[in-house]
Amino acid sequence: MRSSANVVGQAYAFMAMTPVKPGEEEALASYLRGLRAAGPSPLERLPRTHLARFVIVPDFHNDRSWKQRQEEHLDCQYLIFTSNFDGDLDSYLDELCSELAGEAAQIWGHCIGCPEQTSGGALKRYLKHNQINTGIFFAAYPHATTAKVKRSLRSRERMIEFARTSQGLDAAALQQRFLREFGDGG
Amino acid sequence: LARVSATTTPAAPITATGTASRNVDGQAIAITVFSTIRPLRNLLAPIPGRAFLPLLFAVTRRVAPLTATLRQLSFIHFARWAVITKLPYNGPPQRQGRLRYPHMYFESNFNGGWEEYIDAFSHILTRGMTAFWGSSYGFPKPLPTAPFKKYIQDNETEADHYYSAYPDATSTMIQRALVLDDKLAALKRDAGAMQPDAFAAAYRRFLTDVQHCL
Repeated sequence: MRSSANVVGQAYAFMAMTPVKPGEEEALASYLRGLRAAGPSPLERLPRTHLARFVIVPDFHNDRSWKQRQEEHLDCQYLIFTSNFDGDLDSYLDELCSELAGEAAQIWGHCIGCPEQTSGGALKRYLKHNQINTGIFFAAYPHATTAKVKRSLRSRERMIEFARTSQGLDAAALQQRFLREFGDGG
Repeated sequence: LARVSATTTPAAPITATGTASRNVDGQAIAITVFSTIRPLRNLLAPIPGRAFLPLLFAVTRRVAPLTATLRQLSFIHFARWAVITKLPYNGPPQRQGRLRYPHMYFESNFNGGWEEYIDAFSHILTRGMTAFWGSSYGFPKPLPTAPFKKYIQDNETEADHYYSAYPDATSTMIQRALVLDDKLAALKRDAGAMQPDAFAAAYRRFLTDVQHCL
């Protein structure tokens, strides 16, 4: 069951926690850790993604000094995938299961219960089955899409440059330069 | 015309420090923490966490001033908390059934230094931190910060892959850019129809208005 607590503004907090097949932990870790050196992150191909992470959790932390009645250990390692993205979950997972089909075999293919076909509807059902609902989701700019953020950052850079280099211009020259720089939707 | 002191370069120096390199993408830092929730009440949490945390989450979601405090920490992009009582079952060899204890998952995406982040959390959200983590085993109170930092370090798991769509940008930079972009849109819309002197006056007002965003 999906929860409205996953959503703030237009931003969605997705989390899937999937059990890693015993014996395949190293292969999964090695693949994920190697993504950075292999080039741009595959998550870049999901343009609605703001920030996302893969984390392999080896176990819960237990400490005798905490006087926990009984220790608790995970039965196997778990892979967490979380993403902070724009819009609704279904269409995002559709994009993920299509765009990352190649990588998915190397990622969720190491997890228990992952379908043989690591793409499309089968992978989407698997990820939704393993979704963990959020309790509280905080977003500093909940109404801004990734595209809007990137556009605004570019705009800011251009404005800084414009303000720096247009000092001392007379009114007419200033207006002409502004229209050249920012007119026509620029 | 007004002089501007736009000395900030668009690509600010990387400030991500104090954590493993796999938790970093440009300016952004990932923190991932699990904590085990006590089944019974304790001094810091008069109501057991299993019952209290869902209530706290529901109230926090509905009462804006509670998240407003979080907004004071302007270096956070996104953060989330979740209580996990049971893991979805996927067939053998995964073990089926509820977890012995509920566990709280916390993640944050922020910029700056790890130590400074925890310091700010402890000093600004002191009561909120106690409300969120007070029912967790081993939670030492937010202040003083040294034991609290150790607690977070002990419970933190390093990311295996971390991604930011805008790694050069801090959260503050983004929030300022969004404000600037909205105000710039109005000036862009009106600029062509103005006389030069009127435009220059409007530009001066605009610059004064957005100076803090540059």
